[in-house]
Amino acid sequence: MIPRALRDPRAFIGAVLFALIALAALFAPWIARVDPQDQDLLGTLLPAAFQAGGDPAHLLGTDALGRDVLARVLYGARTALSVALIAAFGAMVLGSVLAYAAGYLGGWTDWVIGRTVEIWMSFPPVILALILMTGLGTGLRNVILAIILVDWTRFCRVLRAEVVVIARRDHVAAARLTGFSHLQTVRREIIPATIPLLITLLSLEAGIAVIAEAILSFVGLGVKSDQIAWGQMIADSRDAIYQAPWNLLAPTLAIFLTVAAANLLGDGLRRTLDVRLREDRA
Amino acid sequence: MIATLLKRQATALPILLIVSALLFTALRLLPVDPAAMSMPPNATKAEVEAARVAMGLDRPLPEQYAIWIGQVAHGDLGRSIHVRRPVSTLLADTLPATIELAVAAMLIAGSLGLSGGLILFALRDNKAEPLAETATTLMMSVPEFLWALLFIFVFGVALQALPFTGRLDPGISRPVLTGFLLFDAAWLGQWKAFASALLHLVLPAAALGIAFAPPIMRVLRASLIDIYHEDYIRQARLRGLSETRILLFHALQNAGLPTLTLMGVQFGILFGGSLLIEVIYAYPGMGNLMVDAVRNADLPIIQAVGLTYCIVVLTINAVVDALYHVINPRLRAR
Repeated sequence: MIPRALRDPRAFIGAVLFALIALAALFAPWIARVDPQDQDLLGTLLPAAFQAGGDPAHLLGTDALGRDVLARVLYGARTALSVALIAAFGAMVLGSVLAYAAGYLGGWTDWVIGRTVEIWMSFPPVILALILMTGLGTGLRNVILAIILVDWTRFCRVLRAEVVVIARRDHVAAARLTGFSHLQTVRREIIPATIPLLITLLSLEAGIAVIAEAILSFVGLGVKSDQIAWGQMIADSRDAIYQAPWNLLAPTLAIFLTVAAANLLGDGLRRTLDVRLREDRA
Repeated sequence: MIATLLKRQATALPILLIVSALLFTALRLLPVDPAAMSMPPNATKAEVEAARVAMGLDRPLPEQYAIWIGQVAHGDLGRSIHVRRPVSTLLADTLPATIELAVAAMLIAGSLGLSGGLILFALRDNKAEPLAETATTLMMSVPEFLWALLFIFVFGVALQALPFTGRLDPGISRPVLTGFLLFDAAWLGQWKAFASALLHLVLPAAALGIAFAPPIMRVLRASLIDIYHEDYIRQARLRGLSETRILLFHALQNAGLPTLTLMGVQFGILFGGSLLIEVIYAYPGMGNLMVDAVRNADLPIIQAVGLTYCIVVLTINAVVDALYHVINPRLRAR
C-alpha cells in the first residue's frame, strides 16, 4: 500500500509531517477561525491560552499589534510552502537542464557551465541572495526568483557528475546506435536514470528554501510587509520574549518542523532510491 | 611544489575579475541614483547633475568599471554614500571582527564534527545507529539563526549566564591595535577586556559552529566506514595493532581528506552565515555593515563587501587546496 520509496521509516515520517503541514496551510482559515491581520489593540502580547493571563480565543496568544499568533503561523505556512515548492522546483529545472547539457555534451559546453558554477559558488549563498534582493526588491515572487538564482548550482554540480557516468553506459551507446537523436537519448535514456537523485535533491532543497525565505524575511528583505512570513514573525517577536514567548517559539517550531520534514524525507529517499546504497544493503 | 600550488590557483584571479564585473554591472542596473542620494534633499537638478559628473556616473559603464577596478587595485574602495566615510576604513573596522567570529565558529564546528563523527562511527551496526542518524538529521534541520535565537533565549535571557550583544561589556574600553579583539587584548595585557571579549564570542560562535557540525560528522563517518573496508586496515589488525591505534594512526589520516574538503566548502558558507549571527547578536562585523548598506542602497559598500566575501571564499579554497597537498602524499609525488 505504501509506495516502496517511503518504506524507510524516516522517509515515511518526513512525508507524513510534510503532508500535515501542507494540510494545515491549506485549511488555515478553518483551523484558525480568526483573520491573521485582525488587530486587537486592547489585547496585545497576550500569553498562550494555557498560561496565566491567557485568552481562550487566542490559543497561542497575540503579538505586539494584538494579532493572533496561531493564525499567523498557519497562514505563514502558506508563504513558506509556496516558496519551498516553487523555488525548489525552479532551481531543479534550471540546474538540471544545465547539468544534462554539461554532462552529456561535454567539451566547451561543459567548460563554460562548470566555470559559471564555480563563479557562482565563490559567493556565500546568503550574501548572493541579499545582493539579488537589493536588485530585485522585496516581494514573494522576487524571493522565489532569488532562491532559484542562488541554489541552481546545488543541482547542477551533483547532477552533472551523475550524468557524466550515465552517459558512458552501454544502454546509452546502444540507443545512439539504434538511431536515437541526442535529444531523444537524453530524454529516454539519461533523464529516467537520474530521477531518483533529482527527487532526493528536490526534497532537501525544499528545506533549504524554507530557511532561505525565513532568513530574508528576518532581515526585512523578504516578502512584503503585508504578507505573513515566519521569519518576519521571529524578527518582530524579539522585543517581548518574556511577555509572550510563543511569538518566538511558534514560528521557530514551525520552521524546524518544516525543514525537518524535508530533510527526513530527503535522507530516507536517498536510502530507498539510491541504487548503489540498495545494492550495498542486499 | 609551490609552483604547482600557484598554478592551481591561477584561475582565482580571472574569477575575481568576472565576479567584480558582474557585481558592478548588476548594481548599476538598480533603479537607484547614487548621485541624487549623496546630495541633500533640497539640492537643485543642476547640482545633482554636477555630482553625477564628479562621480563619473555620466561615463559609459565599461569605463566606470575600469576606473573602479583601478581604484580598488590601489586600495581605494570609494566613499560610503550614507555614512560618508571611506569604505576601506569601514571594512578595516569590521572585517577582523567577522574573521574572529568565523574562525571561532569553525573551531567549534570542527571539534563537534570530529567527535560526533567518531561517535557515529563507533555506533555503526549498532541498534542505536538509526537513532543517532535521525538525531543528526534533526540537528541539520536547525539553521544557524534558530540556534542563535535559542541560545539567547536559554543562556542569555532565562539563565542570564552569558552576554548576547556586541563584542565587549559597555564599561570596558576597547584595546586598539589590529581589530582582532582577543589578540589585541592579550597582546596589550588587558585581561579584563580579553575575558569580556571571550565571553561575548561564546554564544555567537557556538550558534554558528553547531549549525555546521552535522555535515562534518556525516562525511567523517562515511569515509571511516569506507576505509575500514580497505585491506591495509585488515593487515594492521593481523599485525596485532590495537583498535585505538588503527583508528588514530592509520584510518583517521585518510578519512580526514574528504572531511577536509567538506570543511573548506563549509567554511565559505559559514563565513556568509555569520551575517545573520551578527545581526542577531548586534555584533559589529561585516555582516551588519552589509545589511545596513543593503537597506540604504549604499552601493560602494555593497560592492566592496560583496567582493571581500568573494576574496575570502577564494582564499579559503586556496588554503584548503594547499593543505590537501601537504596531507596527501599521493598528490605531492606528481
